[in-house]
Amino acid sequence: MASVGQPPSLKRRDAPVSREGDQLIITPLGAGNEVGRSCVYMSYKGKTILFDCGIHPAYSGMAALPYFDEIDPSAIDVLLITHFHLDHAASLPYFLEKTTFKGRVFMTHATKAIYKLLLTDYVKVSKVSVEDMLFDEQDINRSMDKIEVLDFHQTVEVNGIKFWCYTAGHVLGAAMFMVDIAGVRVLYTGDYSREEDRHLRAAELPQFSPDICIIESTYGVQLHQPRNIREKRFTDVIHSTISQGGRVLIPAFALGRAQELLLILDEYWSNHPEFHNIPIYYASPLAKKCMAVYQTYILSMNERIRNQFANSNPFKFKHISPLNSIDDFSDVGPSVVMASPGGLQSGLSRQLFDIWCSDKKNACVIPGYVVEGTLAKTIISEPKEVHYISFSAHADYAQTSTFLKELMPPNIILVHGESHEMGRLKTKLMTELADCNTKIITPKNCQSVEMYFNSEKMAKTIGRLAEKTPEVGETVSGILVKKGFTYQIMAPDDLHIFSQLSTANITQRITVPYSGAFGVIKYRLEQIYESVESSTDEESGVPTLRVHDRVTLKQDSEKHISMHWTSDPISDMVSDSVVALVLNINREVPKVVVESEAIKSEEESGKKAEKVIHALLVSLFGDVKLGGNGKVVINVDGNVAHLDKQSGDVESENEGLKERVKTAFMRIQRAVKPIPLSAP
Amino acid sequence: MGTSVQVTPLSGVFNENPLSYLVSIDGFNFLIDCGWNDHFDPSLLQPLSKVASTIDAVLLSHPDTLHLGALPYAMKQLGLSAPVFSTEPVYRLGLLTMYDQYLSRRQVSEFDLFTLDDIDSAFQSVTRLTYSQNYHLSGEGIVVAPHVAGHLLGGTVWKITKDGEDVIYAVDYNRRKEKHLNGTVLESFVRPAVLITDAYNALHNQPPRQQREMFQDAISKTLRAGGNVLLPVDSAGRVLELLLILEDYWAEHSLNYPIYFLTYVSSSTIDYVKSFLEWMGDSITKSFETSRDNAFLLKHVTLLINKSELDNAPDGPKLVLASMASLEAGFSHDIFVEWASDVKNLVLFTERGQFGTLARMLQADPPPKAVKVTMSRRVPLVGEELIAYEEEQTRLKKEEALKASLVKEEESKASLGPDNNLSGDPMVIDANNANASADVVEPHGGRYRDILIDGFVPPSTSVAPMFPFYENNSEWDDFGEVINPDDYIIKDEDMDQAAMHIGGDDGKLDEGSASLILDAKPSKVVQVKCLLIFIDYEGRADGRSIKTILSHVAPLKLVLVHGSAEATEHLKQHCLKHVCPHVYTPQIEETIDVTSDLCAYKVQLSEKLMSNVLFKKLGDYEIAWVDAEVGKTENGMLSLLPISTPAPPHKSVLVGDLKMADLKPFLSSKGIQVEFAGGALRCGEYVTIRKVGPAGQKGGGSGTQQIVIEGPLCEDYYKIRAYLYSQFYLL
Repeated sequence: MASVGQPPSLKRRDAPVSREGDQLIITPLGAGNEVGRSCVYMSYKGKTILFDCGIHPAYSGMAALPYFDEIDPSAIDVLLITHFHLDHAASLPYFLEKTTFKGRVFMTHATKAIYKLLLTDYVKVSKVSVEDMLFDEQDINRSMDKIEVLDFHQTVEVNGIKFWCYTAGHVLGAAMFMVDIAGVRVLYTGDYSREEDRHLRAAELPQFSPDICIIESTYGVQLHQPRNIREKRFTDVIHSTISQGGRVLIPAFALGRAQELLLILDEYWSNHPEFHNIPIYYASPLAKKCMAVYQTYILSMNERIRNQFANSNPFKFKHISPLNSIDDFSDVGPSVVMASPGGLQSGLSRQLFDIWCSDKKNACVIPGYVVEGTLAKTIISEPKEVHYISFSAHADYAQTSTFLKELMPPNIILVHGESHEMGRLKTKLMTELADCNTKIITPKNCQSVEMYFNSEKMAKTIGRLAEKTPEVGETVSGILVKKGFTYQIMAPDDLHIFSQLSTANITQRITVPYSGAFGVIKYRLEQIYESVESSTDEESGVPTLRVHDRVTLKQDSEKHISMHWTSDPISDMVSDSVVALVLNINREVPKVVVESEAIKSEEESGKKAEKVIHALLVSLFGDVKLGGNGKVVINVDGNVAHLDKQSGDVESENEGLKERVKTAFMRIQRAVKPIPLSAP
Repeated sequence: MGTSVQVTPLSGVFNENPLSYLVSIDGFNFLIDCGWNDHFDPSLLQPLSKVASTIDAVLLSHPDTLHLGALPYAMKQLGLSAPVFSTEPVYRLGLLTMYDQYLSRRQVSEFDLFTLDDIDSAFQSVTRLTYSQNYHLSGEGIVVAPHVAGHLLGGTVWKITKDGEDVIYAVDYNRRKEKHLNGTVLESFVRPAVLITDAYNALHNQPPRQQREMFQDAISKTLRAGGNVLLPVDSAGRVLELLLILEDYWAEHSLNYPIYFLTYVSSSTIDYVKSFLEWMGDSITKSFETSRDNAFLLKHVTLLINKSELDNAPDGPKLVLASMASLEAGFSHDIFVEWASDVKNLVLFTERGQFGTLARMLQADPPPKAVKVTMSRRVPLVGEELIAYEEEQTRLKKEEALKASLVKEEESKASLGPDNNLSGDPMVIDANNANASADVVEPHGGRYRDILIDGFVPPSTSVAPMFPFYENNSEWDDFGEVINPDDYIIKDEDMDQAAMHIGGDDGKLDEGSASLILDAKPSKVVQVKCLLIFIDYEGRADGRSIKTILSHVAPLKLVLVHGSAEATEHLKQHCLKHVCPHVYTPQIEETIDVTSDLCAYKVQLSEKLMSNVLFKKLGDYEIAWVDAEVGKTENGMLSLLPISTPAPPHKSVLVGDLKMADLKPFLSSKGIQVEFAGGALRCGEYVTIRKVGPAGQKGGGSGTQQIVIEGPLCEDYYKIRAYLYSQFYLL
């Protein structure tokens, strides 16, 4: 049902009277000039969407949440989660279970499967007091029932909001969401990477350019090393350490990059038979649990993995085994162990680090972004046997700028980046995209970005009404049917063809007691109505009367007459008056009514109408005076309008007033003048 | 005004032949489905061969032979070279189905219509889409989108949209939710311009749910009595549902009879299916999300890709699911021949066999006492036959060598022989030998590691277009001549292996084939003593639900295909009465024009007009009456402006769909006594409300409900009338 014609162009309206519905608001509730607790609110045309629902890893309890107080959760139609990372999904159980939110939530299949494992683990591991707990395992399980899944590229429509997602790279199941409301498209990238790695596809370039692109800026203007160099460094370090009889510790978060590194190691071991007796472990129960998800959602990964899958599942590692705890680990000779957490704060990676750090044969490889204040951050700066090789799957500056250049969105909103990185990115992008008139905005948390879209409503006139395309000045009358954001105009008879709606006719049949002569009714009716036709009923042969071609009276028996007509307001009114008349005859027969007085002269009624119109205008506008040439002068707050009562034309400097007066006058006239009885 | 749409069936109308239809939308030619049957009869593809080169895109709807079987052949031989679109499972399972078909065929005959490489290259051009993905065909303004059809994993209802007009192709859909699949979403489409659908099941009504018990009873009874159960199944379609049903049943009753799933591709099928959870029903996805429980980690089923594995299995009652469902070829055929003569055994059909196949014959009522089965089979030679054969071979080789040298001499003397003979020559030799040895020798083939003794070993030196049997090539038809050298390369490999095998151990023949060697005739009469049961597990919407769905979708034009002549005619009559007045049933190669006679033009709705419109909400719709004046925008678009003169009066319209069943509780909730009496609703003492005129028809007729309210003049009458009015919107 494509009726959204041209893409609306962004244009700030000159007139301040612009309707609220055309205003698009984007407010970061988190991740505005910061990294963590991603949550972006968007509303347009009465539809509201929330992208992501994360927590800030550096805070705990309520402080870690995005600023949910700024919005009304019950008003949100759709909540879209891009991927399973805590800073994108971890406040979801809270938002679903502890707020008034009643919309629908979507994420991809893989994200949903890992979301549950990851958050359950998070609840168990996080050592906060019970009051500070935002949610418990029960909340997570309950939230699972509310989360709906969608596949990449699958278009979903909710309340007229259309959306679908593209591959984002980054982690398994990560998505970029494109939302289309009434033809205005917004792309939210979440975390994305344009570089294909061992198992993930690179983020796709959407087919259509969005009007607004909300994009991450984690790495600002930094550039990554090419992938093959990083991998070479990584394997070289391990190779040389193992050859010298040392042990390698890789502290890494259990999910995401860890799987990529394991793939690299498994492949390296396959190519180096001499290492086959050196064990590789990944020491994370969570990673072990999630392996089933990685083994299943192969379709979300790249061609390389899918081709390997034709032979065997690449996530069934040949040289790598899981390790449950340090007790199961027999530390004899060289080995490679990947353990969480990535920051060496505590847990298995720290235990191993403490044991191994004293021997200089051993090595520690830190494979990604580490947070300020952790041990890992501290040791990076001491260049001993510690290697920092970034495998982070976020876009770097080169990727971001090419992505934006190919996409060419007229508006860019930067989120998910430290304030100064973001600023530098903005400046650099500004110069690079200088000739494209692109707006780049970096809102802080709770700072709304407002934009106006000149939304052109297009309708499709179809069916009988469209048999001939009308010329300018002709009139079009029909039913306007709106579904979602598509409009159609059609004749009433076509309604059932083009929509699921149907029309109805109600025939009414009523019997009225009447024992007088039928002729009397006819006589009376003729006095009131212009058109009264008499005939006889074909079946029963009784006399009938038809008033204004609407209401039929029939003499059923000596004591009753019956009336029947098809419902519509005018017919109902006519029938009511006929009923009243019949009943009156019953009561008052015989009575002579003086007719002539009842009919007033046309002039008189005209004058009366004049008075009524004036009175109504006064009640509406206050200062109403009679001007010359039958014109009325209306004065509202210094704005003057001249109304021609004959033609209904209005002259005024002020457009708004002119419209109002015109409409008011038209409605008054309709109310005051007699109803035309003839239907077309 | 509307988009031009033409439909030309290429196969599968007024019968149950494979499906293949040409749908042309504004000159863009879609081939929807490209099916073949289990006989692989090239004459069925005659209509396709005429148009193959004009096709711009191919859409596949289901991963079985009837829907995509001819794709490799058409790509290879008929000049089809368009991009193909399907869902991921249709692509993958379709590929596996074709492998299985090929390998099963190779087992029984010199199958040369296409090769494994042809299958691969045909499927290489497939673009994979996800459900509800709107794929824009570049430059055409056409959007294609696959939607859930049910029936088979990845099964697709295709929606083709151009300029807001929808053409929907929906065959073999299923409304019911099953163990591994969701029901179709066909019902969510309303009033498409054209719907192309099948009449296959129009005359069949599914038995109620108890069939599941019948199914389980039949199986367990046979197994308990010490018999074997054979389920002839497809390679990668309905079998998935059956596997899950059996798994559940086994787990529930803790049975420990072995279940074998035997096709040439069973293990890869299940491996892939395990990674297709996104495409399955809600219950399967849910159970994986919450407990990482993959339903296709089968606990009771053993996957086999080789019949000898089955023969080596321990004795005792067992259940075997084997392809093909038609019993025409494949493991099911062999097992049937072995098991049919034992009264204890059961052959359980879960789908109607294709027309003219063994399975269909056996499903007749009453079932035949004995059937003649084609036993053509490539079997290894033993004993004297082998020696005789080898002697023959060496003799032939010598002759060939001699002739080759003669030819060379000739060659050096004379010019080349006539070109048109060249390609046919190698085949001639084949034919001779096949004829010569047919009564003594049947070549044996199968998977690569099996042995193959062909009638003829082309000396590698004389792959030779110059082979000297010029005279007798006249019997060979087109299909013989187009064979390309690749075929022979494969044969060479086979020969090598065969040679090695002959040198090694010949005695290791399994019992089954040994018995067959004794019976060397191409066909044999099999006594059918075993129990034959047919229980419908086709997973297709039955006649009743087809009708319900069609009247709900209510297309403007309906095209009926695929189904027996009776079924097609029956559904046509039904639809003419209850669905829409435009029902088409084209014949093969008959092009029908289903271009909608819909008129339409686009207008802009001006802000001024819209600010005066008050919408009334009615379900998903919002409606309002507009009177507007036509104007033009700056860029020449028509636009609607508020009317300057008083609006012309119009006949008032009551909008709404009144259901008597809903009205009754509504009125009684308002304190009025209501009851149904003689088709009318009696309200209070005197007033009645009735619906008159044709009910239920959506497409045809006036589409307007006729409602009559009758009663004497009293207060109740007006009260009830007001309630009745409240059910409608007055415009």
